Amino acid sequence: MNLERIPNEEKLSLCRRYYLGGFAFLPFLWLVNVLWFFREAFLKPTYTEQLQIKSYVKKSALGLIVWVAVLTTWITIFQHFRAQWGEVGDYLSFTIPLGTA
Amino acid sequence: MYGVLGLLLTSGENLMSRVMCVSSAAGVCSSSVEQKIYVELNETVPCVRLLNATHQIGCQSSMSGDTGVLHVLETQSDLDWILSSGPHPPYMVIMETAFFNRSVMMRMKNSSRVSGVAVIVSKTGLAQNFSPHTTCPNQNTGVYVYSESYGSELANCNVTVWNPLGNGLSYEDFSFPVFALKDENQTQVIRKCYEDHNQRVNGSAPHYPLCAMQLFSHMHAVTDTVTCMRRTDLQNRFSINPEVLCDPLSDFNVWTSTRPLNSSAKGHAANESVVIAAARLDGRSFFWEQAPAAEGTVSGIITLLAAIQALYPVTQEAPPPRNIFFTFFQGEAFDYIGSSKMVYDMEKNDFVIDLKNVHSILEIGQVGLHSGRSLWMHSDPVSRKNDSVNEAVSEMMNRMESAAAGLSVSVGHPSFSQPLPPSSLQRFLRAGPIPGLVLADHQKSFSNRYYESMYDDAENLNVTYPPGLTPDEQLVYETDAAKVCDSCGCVAQLLYGFLVQKNNSWFRSLLLSAGPGPPQFYIGLGPRIHGPVHSVTRFVQYILANLTGTVTNLTESQCQNPSELSTENKDLFSYFWVSGPASVNSTGEPFCVRASVRLSEAVSPAFELLEYGSRNYSTWTESRWKSIRARIFLVASRELEVMQHRWS
Repeated sequence: MNLERIPNEEKLSLCRRYYLGGFAFLPFLWLVNVLWFFREAFLKPTYTEQLQIKSYVKKSALGLIVWVAVLTTWITIFQHFRAQWGEVGDYLSFTIPLGTA
Repeated sequence: MYGVLGLLLTSGENLMSRVMCVSSAAGVCSSSVEQKIYVELNETVPCVRLLNATHQIGCQSSMSGDTGVLHVLETQSDLDWILSSGPHPPYMVIMETAFFNRSVMMRMKNSSRVSGVAVIVSKTGLAQNFSPHTTCPNQNTGVYVYSESYGSELANCNVTVWNPLGNGLSYEDFSFPVFALKDENQTQVIRKCYEDHNQRVNGSAPHYPLCAMQLFSHMHAVTDTVTCMRRTDLQNRFSINPEVLCDPLSDFNVWTSTRPLNSSAKGHAANESVVIAAARLDGRSFFWEQAPAAEGTVSGIITLLAAIQALYPVTQEAPPPRNIFFTFFQGEAFDYIGSSKMVYDMEKNDFVIDLKNVHSILEIGQVGLHSGRSLWMHSDPVSRKNDSVNEAVSEMMNRMESAAAGLSVSVGHPSFSQPLPPSSLQRFLRAGPIPGLVLADHQKSFSNRYYESMYDDAENLNVTYPPGLTPDEQLVYETDAAKVCDSCGCVAQLLYGFLVQKNNSWFRSLLLSAGPGPPQFYIGLGPRIHGPVHSVTRFVQYILANLTGTVTNLTESQCQNPSELSTENKDLFSYFWVSGPASVNSTGEPFCVRASVRLSEAVSPAFELLEYGSRNYSTWTESRWKSIRARIFLVASRELEVMQHRWS
């Protein structure tokens, strides 16, 4: 969707919807929010709604960073320790590789 | 590196061959590019992974095979070349027989420059002794276990080390594939490739292209039986396409009795006092499904079969006061699978007799190598502290001595404090004190220098035939071993059939033909996986029926369903449809034999109780795999490989 042709109120409401939607365990909405509205929030000349859009983008970026940190930590721990966890590791796995621990 | 090159080559030529296939007008494809690159080795004898409650043993390869530059290990300098100085690691070692020992294999295991081993199996260069089994077989599942109070000072071979020549190689865990090269022609092909391309000229390193070999034996199971069974359960419950990772080792025990026992009446049999005569039916070696087990197993089987053949007509005419129960236990090499199952069934009242019916047990161990015609009667010192047991055992020994005196064979008994050797009798003693003897040709340690190895074959037993005999003549030729005690001439035939060639005219007349060569005594995975009963178990079953059964004139359909006839009793007998002796003109007329020979399941009680981590029962399983194969090809230099990377 081309943001050029949308009036500013609609831009604000779109940004808000993506921001609120990300709270439903959907960090990709926040990622899209940040990438999509970055230019609108920081690189365009000022307009009335821009302050709120800027705050939504910043909060989405913050949420995104938290999610990335948590997921990276969990994935690293799981890949490293799954074999040693024995039974618990097997019950947490969706597919277990054949022939390696 | 070579794996990557091999992969690129494989994927590249697969693509090319498919393109060629599509564009070919005739529509018939033969993947000729692949045939020009790779020479497939057809006869592969791998080493596979086995697991028990706590460990994994055996060998594993990578999922897409392990590749390495060939090098033949003939001298010590070859060993240094492979392990430290050779410029083209990793190497695929072609190991001469003399180098297949513990020290060399452990050095290979610890080195990162070895990607696989192919062992040449031959008699040239074979050491004086080679036993890949442990020094104290089945030490944790016998009756003398350290943690129990029963003879704990006799545990872990404290008093006698039964297999002192054992190097424990079969129980090590290798992370590279180990194959055996048994076919002489195939070994020649590999040697030729090595001599053409890989041989060192005047001490300098050989140049590319070099001959390489790729071995595929990727095993699915890991860690131990508990993990593997748990993952199999998870797969069965939650996966769309469940994969079984491992299977328990299982097969059947064979038993018969002089007075038929009612097989539908389980538990204690009234007024039955039974003497059990037992032998083991299996063996193993380092490699999968290779177990000639001549001295370790066949000597006991043939002795018991000959005894049955001699005793049976006598017991039918003049029945002895006690029933004699002959049984062959399968799976004894792997923590007594067969005997533990039979004892378990007896304790649960799920067998035709129970332990209170058993009066005494005589087991025939390794009896083939008795020098000076002397046999030893081993007994259990702990149970003999009980007076009644001691009396019964002494009486058994006296009877054996008097019987042997008439045959010019001397029997002795080793010192009183020596425990029993590894034997099925130990599992019966775990259930209660029963008088028993184990007959063996060794007083202290085994006389068998090749215990549970590929070299425990006919030659180890001194069973050789003069050259130039046809197979039928060899079948009836009485070797020195057969001359010992042979009233029917069938000992010679048994020796031939079990040690040299299982596809002989006598076996063929009993049942459908088997493959060439001597039978292998590895227990395998049982009927669920491999179809009908394992060949060795079936041979013993049909031979017993032939020796002890009566011919009936039932038709084939009556033989399959004898319960419809009032004269036949399916509870007391089993009925076998036998093909009959083949003559020159015809294939022989089949007929129905009635015998009291039965099979009983030999699967460890740990798998029935679902206690996969059990310390009391065998927990051995064999891993599954997708493909096991080997191939040789030429690899190009590393510069070519780098260039290929740059271009792609």
